[in-house]
Amino acid sequence: MGYPPSGVQKSSVISEHCGHSVVSPVKLMVESSSSGGRGAEEGIPPPRIADVIDRQESIMQGMFSHTGTSQGEKGQLQSIQDHEVPESCDKTNTQPCGTKLPNGHGGHSAHKLTEWDNPNSSLPAGSYLNSEGDHVIANGELSAGSRGGALDAISSVLPPQDAAVDRTTSSEDCLNAQNAVFNDTRSCSEGDPSLDRNSSASPSTPKHSLRTFSSSTFLNTDSARLSPDDDETFSTSDRPDDSIFTDVSLKPRNTYEISRRQSAPDNIPGVLSVAVADLTLSQRKHGISEIFNRSLFSRKQREAQSAAGWKLFGKVPLRESPPKDSKTIQQEYEARASKSDQSPSLPAQGRRKNLEFEPLSTTALILEDRPASLPAKSEEEAQRHRQEYDEMVAEAKKRELKEAQKKKKQMKERFKQEESIANAMVVWNNEILPNWESMRGTRRVRDLWWQGLPPNVRGKVWSLAIGNELNITSDLYEIFLSRAKERWKSFRETGSEMESDADSADRESSLDLIKLDISRTFPPLFIFQKGGPYHDLLHSLLGAYTCYRPDVGYVQGMSFIAAVLILNLEEADAFIAFANLLNKPCQMAFFRVDHELMLKYFAAFEVFFEENLPRLFNHFKSYNLTPDLYLIDWIFTLYTKSLPLDVACRVWDVFCRDGEEFLFRTGLGILGLYEDVLLQMDFIHIAQFLTRLPEDTPSERLLSCIANTQMISSNRKWAQVFNALIKDKEMEKSSSPTVKNS
Amino acid sequence: MQNNRKEHLYKILVIGDLGVGKTSIIKRYVHQTYSTNYRATIGVDFALKVLNWDSETVRLQLWDIAGQERFGNMTRVYYREAMGAFIVFDVTRPTTFEAVSKWKEDLDSKLTLSNGQSIATVLLANKCDQKRDFLTNNSLKMDQYCKENGFVGWFETSARENININEAANFLVKHIIASENDILKSVVPDTISPQLNSDKEMTCSYWLSLD
Repeated sequence: MGYPPSGVQKSSVISEHCGHSVVSPVKLMVESSSSGGRGAEEGIPPPRIADVIDRQESIMQGMFSHTGTSQGEKGQLQSIQDHEVPESCDKTNTQPCGTKLPNGHGGHSAHKLTEWDNPNSSLPAGSYLNSEGDHVIANGELSAGSRGGALDAISSVLPPQDAAVDRTTSSEDCLNAQNAVFNDTRSCSEGDPSLDRNSSASPSTPKHSLRTFSSSTFLNTDSARLSPDDDETFSTSDRPDDSIFTDVSLKPRNTYEISRRQSAPDNIPGVLSVAVADLTLSQRKHGISEIFNRSLFSRKQREAQSAAGWKLFGKVPLRESPPKDSKTIQQEYEARASKSDQSPSLPAQGRRKNLEFEPLSTTALILEDRPASLPAKSEEEAQRHRQEYDEMVAEAKKRELKEAQKKKKQMKERFKQEESIANAMVVWNNEILPNWESMRGTRRVRDLWWQGLPPNVRGKVWSLAIGNELNITSDLYEIFLSRAKERWKSFRETGSEMESDADSADRESSLDLIKLDISRTFPPLFIFQKGGPYHDLLHSLLGAYTCYRPDVGYVQGMSFIAAVLILNLEEADAFIAFANLLNKPCQMAFFRVDHELMLKYFAAFEVFFEENLPRLFNHFKSYNLTPDLYLIDWIFTLYTKSLPLDVACRVWDVFCRDGEEFLFRTGLGILGLYEDVLLQMDFIHIAQFLTRLPEDTPSERLLSCIANTQMISSNRKWAQVFNALIKDKEMEKSSSPTVKNS
Repeated sequence: MQNNRKEHLYKILVIGDLGVGKTSIIKRYVHQTYSTNYRATIGVDFALKVLNWDSETVRLQLWDIAGQERFGNMTRVYYREAMGAFIVFDVTRPTTFEAVSKWKEDLDSKLTLSNGQSIATVLLANKCDQKRDFLTNNSLKMDQYCKENGFVGWFETSARENININEAANFLVKHIIASENDILKSVVPDTISPQLNSDKEMTCSYWLSLD
C-alpha cells in the first residue's frame, strides 16, 4: 500500500490518494480523518452526518475557490519565477502554519476559505510531501505537464474523475510551478535524516518517485484541486500526532530522486533541504494549541499574499473578489450559521468552526444587509430574504451531500485500482523484469502491460522495450554533451554582440532554438522552464542529440518527447531511449520532415479511419479536414502535448509494446472516444478540439476505445496497408513535387 | 438572427519565426488573456474570432502556423484559401526580422487572390513592450520597408501589454474586405467562389447571405 497511487487524475481523487499513501489502510484513514480525528481533538464526538457534510463542504470549496485561486496562482507562479525556487520555499517556511503554501491561492481564496485551509497547512511539511506527491499526479490538474512531474507516480490506470473542478490554465500553471519548487525541495529533503523516519509507512515501495512528490506539496495549495478531499485526508494527519505524518514517506522516493537531482544542474539543494526541514520542525512544534490560533494567522497571511500577488501581476481576479474582506465574511457567516443551522448539521458546524474549515457553498452565499447609505430593508423583506437564503443553503448542502457520496464511491474504486497497481508493481519487479527477454512477449505480460505500467517501473520498461539498437553508451552521451557545450559556448561568444547568429548556416539546429522551446515544454509543470529543476537537463539532452545527429538536428516536438523521458529515466538512459526512439522509422520520417513519407502515414491512417469510423470520416471529409491537421501535432509529440500527461504515458506504455501502429490506433481511439461531440462540430471547432483534447480525457475509456479500434482493413494489417501505399508511391512518382522553402 | 445579416468567413494566417509570439498574439486577440506559458506550436493551431463589423458578422479563422523552418514543407499547404496574413517578428531578436522577407516571399509565391494580387498582409513588430524605442527609431524605415515588400501596413504590438492587437486585426480585416470588394467588382461572383473555396466551412471569400 505504501506504494504511491498512480494515475489519478483529478483533484477529487487526490485526497483519497493522499490518504492512501500516507496511511496504509486507506479506508481507515478516511474515516478517522473525516470524523474521529477532529472530533477527538476538539472533544466533540464525531457524528457521522457531520463528516459527510464536512466533506461536501470541502468539495464545494474546491469548486468555488477555483477561479479565485487561479488568479492567485498566477501570482504565485510569477513570484516563483521571479524569486527563484529557494526563495519561495523560504517563504513557506517562515510562515507559521496556514501559509505554508506560498501560493497566491491563499490570497484570493482566502475570502471564501478563510479558515478552511488551515488544517492542511498545519500539516507537517513532510507529510505533505509524501502523501501528496501522489496527488499531484493524481490530480488531473497537473495537466499534461504536471503529470509529467509526477510521471512516476502516475499510473494512468485510474479512471478520470468528476469534473467538479474545472481547470483553468492558470491554475494548472500554478500547480505546476509549485510542483517544480517542490521537486527541488524534495530532492533536498532527502538528505535530511529527520525527515526520513517514515520508512515504515511505505515499505513496499522501494524508490518511489520523488517527482511525484514534488507536485503534491504545492498542489495542496491549490484549493480547487485538493480541497475536495483535503478534508478527509489531511485532517487525519492534522490530528493527534503531527510527527507521525511528517515522517511518512519522504524516504522511498528520495533514493531514486537524489541521484537524478544531482544530475540536474539546476537544483539548489542546500537551501531547500534546510527549508524543508525547518518547515517540518516548525510545523511539528505547533501542537494542538496551534490549531486554535491558526485561523487568525492564516487569514492575515492570506490577505497579505493576495495583495502581493495583485501587485505583481496587476491583474484583477476573475471572480471572487468580494468587496468585503474575508474577515467580515467570515464573521457574518459564522453569525448566521450559528443562528440558522439545524440539528443534523449542527455538530458539523461546531466542528467546522473549530477546525477552521468552512463550506464554500454557503460562504459564497452571504446574506447581506443593504449598505448603510441605502434605506434598510423592511421587516418582511428581510424575513423573505432570510428564508430564501436558508433555502439556498439547504439546497447547496443537499448537493454537497450527493457529491460526497459520489466521491466516496469513486474513492473506493480508486483504492481498489491502486491496490491492483501495487500488485502489478510487485509482479513487474520480481517476475517480469528479471526475465525480461523470455517474458516480454507472453500473453500475461502483454495484458499486464496494457493495463498500464506502474510508475516506478515505467521508465525501466520503456527503456527495455525501446531497446538500444544504436548501441549508445553513457560515455558516448557524455562525449556528445561536451561537444554540445562547446558549441554552445562558442555560440554564445560569437553571438554575443548580436544576441543571435543570423548567418549561421545551421540556424535550424542552433542551440538558440532549443533554448526557446525548452521553456515552452510543459510550461505548466514549471520544471523545464528557466530556473526549473530539469531545465538544464532537457537542454543537455537535446543539445547532445543535435551533435549526435546533426543531420536531423533539433525539430520542434522533440522537446516534449525528451521531457517525458527525463521524467521517467536517468539522464543518460533518457538520452539513449530518446535517440533510439527517434530512430524508429515513423519518428525518423516525421522528424526529418520527409513530407512524402508523412503523407503515406496519413493516407494509411485514413484507410483505418474510414474503416472504423465511417460517419466521422465523412464528416471530416465534408469539411476538408485532413488528418495532417491534427496528426502532425499528435505524432511529433507522441501525444504528450494534446493529451493529459498521464494519459499520454499510458499511450506510451503500449506504444513501446506495439510500435508505430499503436500511435495511429491511438489517434483513431481518440476520434472514436469523441465521435459524438465531433460530429456536432464544424471545421474550426474540430481542429481546435483535436489539438487540445480535454484535460479530463479519461484514460480507461480512451484505452477501451483504442482496444475497440480494429487495425485490419480488408484483411490487411497496418504494416501491409502502409507498405502498399509506399509501393504505390514508388511506382507512380519519380520526382517529388516537394515544395522547397528558403 | 436577422434576416439579411451578412456573414463573412476569412481565413487568416499568422506566420513568422519560432518564438516571436504568434500564439500569444492570437490568445490575446481571441481570449483577451496573456500567459508566459504557451506551449510551442507543432504543426498548426486554430482559433476563431467573431467580430461585429458594421451590420455584418465577420468570422476570422486564425491559423497559427508553427514557426520552425523545417516544418515549411508541410505547413505550406495551410496557406491555401487564406484571405489575409500577419507576419510577426520579435523586436528583440533581429534575426526574426531578417526572416520576415523570407516569409513574405514564401507567402506570395504560394498564394495569390483570383485577381493576381497577393493577400492583404500586415507586419507585426511584437514584444514592443520589451523594447520601447523601437518605434521611434524605426518608424520611417518600417514604412518604407512595408511599401517595398508589399505589406499593407505594420504595427508594433505587445501581446503581453495588449498593445495594438485589436487595431492591427481591424486594419487587416478592413483591407481584406476592400480587396474582396475589388475582386467582386472585377469578376462575377459565381466564378470566384469555387476557386476560393468549395467546401462548406470555408466560404470565406464571398458574401454569404443568410436569409
